[in-house]
Amino acid sequence: MVFAIQRPGMAKWLEKLLEGGEVIAPVRGPCGDVVFSTIRSPAQVIWDFGNPLHPPKRFVLPQTDPLVTIKRNGHRHEVEPIYDDARRILFNVRSCDVKGIAFLTRMHEMEPADASYLRRANRLTVISLACTTPCPPGFCVCTDSGPFLSDGYDIQLTDVGKSYLVEVGSEKGEAAISVVPSLFRKATESELLKRKKLETAARSHFGQETCHFASAMRRISTGRVQDSLWDKMSDWCLECGGCNLICPTCYCFSVKDLRRDGTWIRCRMWDSCQYAAFTLEASGHNPREHRKERMKRRFFHKVSAQYYTRDSTVGCVGCGRCIKVCLGTTDMPAVVAAIRKGKWHE
Amino acid sequence: MNDVFLPDIATLVKAWDETPDTKTFAWRFRDLKGGKDFHFLPGQFLELSVFGYGEAPFCIASSPTRPDALETTVRRTGQLTDALHRLGNGDEVGIRGPFGNGFDAEAARGKDLLFVGGGIGLAPLRSLIWNALDERDRFGKVTILYGARTPSDLVYRHELKEWEERSDVELLITVDWAAPGWTGNVGVVPVLFEKVTLHPESTLAYVCGPPIMIRFVVRDLLARGFKEEAVISTLERMMQCGIGKCNHCAIGHRYVCRDGPVFNYSQIRELVE
Repeated sequence: MVFAIQRPGMAKWLEKLLEGGEVIAPVRGPCGDVVFSTIRSPAQVIWDFGNPLHPPKRFVLPQTDPLVTIKRNGHRHEVEPIYDDARRILFNVRSCDVKGIAFLTRMHEMEPADASYLRRANRLTVISLACTTPCPPGFCVCTDSGPFLSDGYDIQLTDVGKSYLVEVGSEKGEAAISVVPSLFRKATESELLKRKKLETAARSHFGQETCHFASAMRRISTGRVQDSLWDKMSDWCLECGGCNLICPTCYCFSVKDLRRDGTWIRCRMWDSCQYAAFTLEASGHNPREHRKERMKRRFFHKVSAQYYTRDSTVGCVGCGRCIKVCLGTTDMPAVVAAIRKGKWHE
Repeated sequence: MNDVFLPDIATLVKAWDETPDTKTFAWRFRDLKGGKDFHFLPGQFLELSVFGYGEAPFCIASSPTRPDALETTVRRTGQLTDALHRLGNGDEVGIRGPFGNGFDAEAARGKDLLFVGGGIGLAPLRSLIWNALDERDRFGKVTILYGARTPSDLVYRHELKEWEERSDVELLITVDWAAPGWTGNVGVVPVLFEKVTLHPESTLAYVCGPPIMIRFVVRDLLARGFKEEAVISTLERMMQCGIGKCNHCAIGHRYVCRDGPVFNYSQIRELVE
């Protein structure tokens, strides 16, 4: 069933949600930029914003994710798993980021399942805000991850004027509206119609030139991208790893021991396949020594048919963050276009 | 759901020098999670952690037919292996695993086995060699060709001697550079092919060593009539999780830690991205 909530009711609902645990939402930072942050009051929540540069990935997969405590007592060691049992609500997340989290969860559910990640993800409620005005660099229509969603969310909100449409997609979503059921009523026919119109309008915002994965996928999967093209493209890559760090679907990691308060904490830390040390072995042998091989790897993982078959989606949610962050212009749409056309802009 | 990153604690029973920079370690579990047994196959690997230094993948060098000792052979080459080499008897490490597919010993039943090892690459083969020798009547001819850079780089000396003395094993050793007193073969491993009689149609060849050695050995074996499926190797990558999630060991959409590390040559050729 689709519900609706009047605009003034929103603050009251948020107050109730705040009583139940941590609520994270895009807020305006001190310098005016928009960031995901834990909120203290409903007044902090903003409703008209460009998507934050950093996706909310870190609330399910922190950059440094403690996994195991290692305690030492003389010669004897004791190891204990570390669990993050906090209940969190992600509020006003954009569609692409909802799909990003859903993607990460699928990766960690794959056997053998990653209990540490899943504990955190299972306690996270995702309340999304459908994109009625898509953001300029986004190409979510090409990746089936926006501007409106048909699944993946716990609750999807749509601004339909005087009220918000509330689509509930899961039990966690039901639980979130049950904190103040009186605020929610059945959506009216005109509200539902409005949503439909808004979605059609939002979709028409995307131009013809977005990101055509299909032909790039064919070439990448069959090794038909010329080596010289990878050479040229990788010439532009600065190996900063920014594309990986801001990508909602990147989850490669390294395992390291960190010293904290007199004990060792074994941590999972974000890593980047664009770094030379990513595949470096202790012997000095490096299977992906050249930048072009690493770049090839990144796009094989994200765009190849082999991974598409395994994951039933490309490893991209079309948020356009790599376009914003890449100084070398080797972002997803640019590389996909270059592969499709067989040439790189010089 | 288990905690895939939680290691079991094992203690060092003893360690001994193989070469000036390589040691073999024998481990015993202190207590296994949930009292389970530790079963493994030859060719599988462990994530071994020296606490405070992190974790790294090492192949199991002992045979499952000798369950009281779990052994790894490690060359000192970085921070973690350096710390490992400094451990004394009774010191503790963390062990996760076993990971990977391992050698298919069942498929090798009744076949002749040819082992071609280079340097420390004999370690994963040793597991399968002892497995085969402990169940000797299940397998045909066992031939071991082993090469190292210099005589002092040969590992498992006592066992080499034992294999040499056994009548049911043919062992040939070569070194790239002889040292004073060396009376054996000199040259890279493929020179040994001239000195043995091979039956490609009934033999499985297990090859492990440095990448350059593998390349030449595989080329020679194929030229001698071995089928690609009969040439089996184990690949090495910087595996950090062992469960196909961290992506360090990915080649195309395959993961060395989960789909491997053991692949036959026809599978290796398909590993592209």
